[in-house]
Amino acid sequence: MRIEHWWYALPLRLRSLVARRRVEREMDEELQFHLEQKIAEGLGAGLAPAAARHRAMRAMGGLEQRREEIRDAWRIRWWTDFADDVRYALRGLRRTPGVAALVVATLAVGIGMTAMPFSMVDALLLRPYPVPRPGDVVSLVGTSRDHAFENFSYREYLDLRDKTKSYDGVIASTTIIPAGFATARGATPEVHGAMLVSGNFFSVLGIVPQLGRGFRADEDAVPGRDAVAVLAADFWRQAFAADPKVVGRHILVDGRELIVVGVAPDSFPGLMIFSRPDLYLPLGMARELSIDPRKDFFEDRDDRELAVRARLAAGTPLAAARAEIAALARDFARSYPATSRDRGAGVHTFFEMRTRADDLNWKFAIVFTFLALSVLLVACTNVAGLLLSRARTRAREIAVRLALGAGRGRLTRLLLTEALVLAGLGGLGGVAIGYAGIHGFLQSFTIPTELPVKIPFRMDARLLVAIVALAVGSAVVCGLAPALRGSRSDLATGLKAADVELPGPRRLWGRNLLVVAQVAISLMLLTSSLLMARSFRRAALATEGFAKDHLLMVRLDPRLLQYDRERTAHFYEQLTDRARAAPGVRFAGLTRNPPLGLDGFAAVAFVPEGYDMPGDRKSFTAASDTVSPGFLETMGIAILRGRDVRPQDAADAPRVALVNEAFARRYWPDQEALGKRFLLDGDPARPVEIVGIARTIKVATGTSKPQDFVYLPLAQHPQERMILMLRTAGEPLLWVDVVRGIVHDLDPNLPLLETRSYASLYRYSEVDGPGVAVHMTGTMGAVGLLLTLSGLYGLVAYNVSRRTREIGIRMAIGAGPAGVLRLFLGKGLALVGIGTAIGLALGYGVERLMNAMLFDVGGIDVVAYLIVVPAMLVVTMLAAYLPARRAARIAPTVALRYE
Amino acid sequence: MSRPNDLVLGTLDLLLLKILALEPLHGWAIGLRLRSLSGDVLQVSEGSLYPSLHKLEQEGWIRAEWKQTENNRRAKFYALTRLGRKQLESETANWQRLSAAISHVVLLAEG
Repeated sequence: MRIEHWWYALPLRLRSLVARRRVEREMDEELQFHLEQKIAEGLGAGLAPAAARHRAMRAMGGLEQRREEIRDAWRIRWWTDFADDVRYALRGLRRTPGVAALVVATLAVGIGMTAMPFSMVDALLLRPYPVPRPGDVVSLVGTSRDHAFENFSYREYLDLRDKTKSYDGVIASTTIIPAGFATARGATPEVHGAMLVSGNFFSVLGIVPQLGRGFRADEDAVPGRDAVAVLAADFWRQAFAADPKVVGRHILVDGRELIVVGVAPDSFPGLMIFSRPDLYLPLGMARELSIDPRKDFFEDRDDRELAVRARLAAGTPLAAARAEIAALARDFARSYPATSRDRGAGVHTFFEMRTRADDLNWKFAIVFTFLALSVLLVACTNVAGLLLSRARTRAREIAVRLALGAGRGRLTRLLLTEALVLAGLGGLGGVAIGYAGIHGFLQSFTIPTELPVKIPFRMDARLLVAIVALAVGSAVVCGLAPALRGSRSDLATGLKAADVELPGPRRLWGRNLLVVAQVAISLMLLTSSLLMARSFRRAALATEGFAKDHLLMVRLDPRLLQYDRERTAHFYEQLTDRARAAPGVRFAGLTRNPPLGLDGFAAVAFVPEGYDMPGDRKSFTAASDTVSPGFLETMGIAILRGRDVRPQDAADAPRVALVNEAFARRYWPDQEALGKRFLLDGDPARPVEIVGIARTIKVATGTSKPQDFVYLPLAQHPQERMILMLRTAGEPLLWVDVVRGIVHDLDPNLPLLETRSYASLYRYSEVDGPGVAVHMTGTMGAVGLLLTLSGLYGLVAYNVSRRTREIGIRMAIGAGPAGVLRLFLGKGLALVGIGTAIGLALGYGVERLMNAMLFDVGGIDVVAYLIVVPAMLVVTMLAAYLPARRAARIAPTVALRYE
Repeated sequence: MSRPNDLVLGTLDLLLLKILALEPLHGWAIGLRLRSLSGDVLQVSEGSLYPSLHKLEQEGWIRAEWKQTENNRRAKFYALTRLGRKQLESETANWQRLSAAISHVVLLAEG
């Protein structure tokens, strides 16, 4: 019945709202028709025309009243009242454009400042996977003693896929692997991001290709058999000009010929936040692309390169899936002790994966959101203050309305609607400011990586909804108090006088509270931003111990041209020799990932020789880099004792390594680590001798703690993808052509994959990246302070104007200007004092929070407080002094006449 | 809201539905019809007729349409909807129950 009812009623109600004038006209016509009939009836009965008309009108019993009853029957009263209130509010705003502009601008800034961190939170935490029923997709992770979020190997994936019953399909994918892509043999390959996925990847996720097909479930079964590829939609447009006949074409990926079988839909940009694959290949192609050449992808259970996700079957509780995978992990440990001892496994929901403890980005987003909401709160309290002052000047209008019979509920609604109109306008401004912030600031960075990074922050429908909610929320926060207060105003006093005095301390309690809150919040904001800026500066200073200038990075990958191991080794040897000999090149060396590099450092497992291993541990791990002779010198990393890697440390020579001081001190705290040995990957056949101790530097970011680090010689641990690092005599980018010439001489087809100055990488890692955080908190702190100052100024000025007559009386009976000044200033200062005390406590709390969440380093930053608190006191005092001084200068004669 | 004279409270809706169940009519004709059908006993105040009709329309029980009258005048005709017919049935049943009960009580032999 309800649905059928609405089927009739909804069109009627919409029509009454949208075509209101027409509906009104029809109502009048209907009533008019009735009256005419009635008059005709009267005339027929022999009445005079005037008498007939009179009789008809009387029978109707008040035409306008009937009209109102009919309008009530339409049940759109709520909406038409709302529209009337909105119109009234807009008219009122036009009358006081100054206050209106101030309020709207304040709210716009507050809401706009919140849009930026909201977009971050959305992108990093909330935006679901772009697949149907994203909530069912969970992540399966391995756990070890050192890490809670580890990948699985191919063999482990097959077991997970075949032996679990909790899921409607288990899928696996690698990270995005840089691969050489070409459309024809002989063409110089370009680097694009490829992702190896299991055969059921698309079907389990529910992704339907826009062209061709996805992979078949068996296409990952046999190594090297199915040479097929699916293109990402963006890549299809960019590299194939959206060719509708692309399916069936042959392409080359790392020299291997593949057939394009499909194109992914536009709605599916992949499952990662910051990057999008260009090509999907089945896992069967892993040999062609495998990241770790020392392992056999298809056989080694510890070649863990696969992120495993699964679609939870309907009705399966997460706890059951967790119990199942834990049991499976115990099976692994029993059956494969060599590779799976001490390892567990877990199931995590999407949200749990996004809020991983080891990820910093979302924590920054949360801190920013918290700070931005504080700014918004300050903005709202300011607006509430302005509206309160306005409510006072409107007391008479409100009293008149009450006297005429307006209900208090209806009046509250009117005042709230006015706040809503203001907030709506502020929200519009907020959208503009937020858009500028997100697209002009957050998206303006280029991140120095080889494959393009997609900055996921954007202004979209989800964010707009959030902003609308914010605007409505702000309207309630800043409109409710004035509205309640306004509708409660006393009828008798309200109607009486022009100067509606609302005496007594109770009346101002609310506004005093607002100022205290503002001072406290903005002090907290300022301390946080200063703390953040200073922490990052400290961190940047902490990245000492290696060179940053005059360094050129060139990335190369001979695998693109299918070099074998010997040819690769030979190529790199030739390259470094020739580069070193080039004019203006002071040092040259090879690295997999330089300090602060964005590729991450490979972890190595080792057992220090003669070390008394704790019973529950098989090996330790440390971060590592693989380097050529001369790299440490090029990078300016000091070798404290021992020697650098030498050309004599060849593949068949005794194994050697350099370690950093932190490493040496951890495992040989009381001895000389030089000359000691450790077993890499627990391999007792070829112990590695420590031949040098390098200075400990921060390799990851300046904010991280120094970590243990191992430098392995390239000749003994062959790698394909390397970065040639040159220390040059001048601006490093001028040597790009020199390197290009050398590479061209060695192999004309080999591309330079990535050329940049090391300074740009350093700047991104230690200056620009943190700069985002510093600028955002700094802006919030500044805006918060500005709003607080205007709020305080407004309050004191309001007090002065409210009490002008009282000032006049005081002065007339002998108070001096100094006394008056003290009266008003004292009040303001007391509020600032209380606010400062609370703000200090809040700031301390935020500092603890930031240290815990963001910075590994850092204690209490006393200097920050010493800067912020006095500065705050001085400016707030000024904001209170200016209006107070005006009060002191009032001539009593003027003041007494003041109305 | 003005009350219908001489009408048991709440029965106006039932009467209007019933009259419109016979044939679609405009407001003026509904008043006339009600009077004639009840032998001039029932009379609805002209003021309350139109708000009631609009309310029934909003409920989805009747539907309005602008049509020509017999003397070529444009008027708003109301007709019963399917939903209205169901409502009429249930209200009729309700009325029968109620009036039977009232008669039963009122006509009890005294003594």
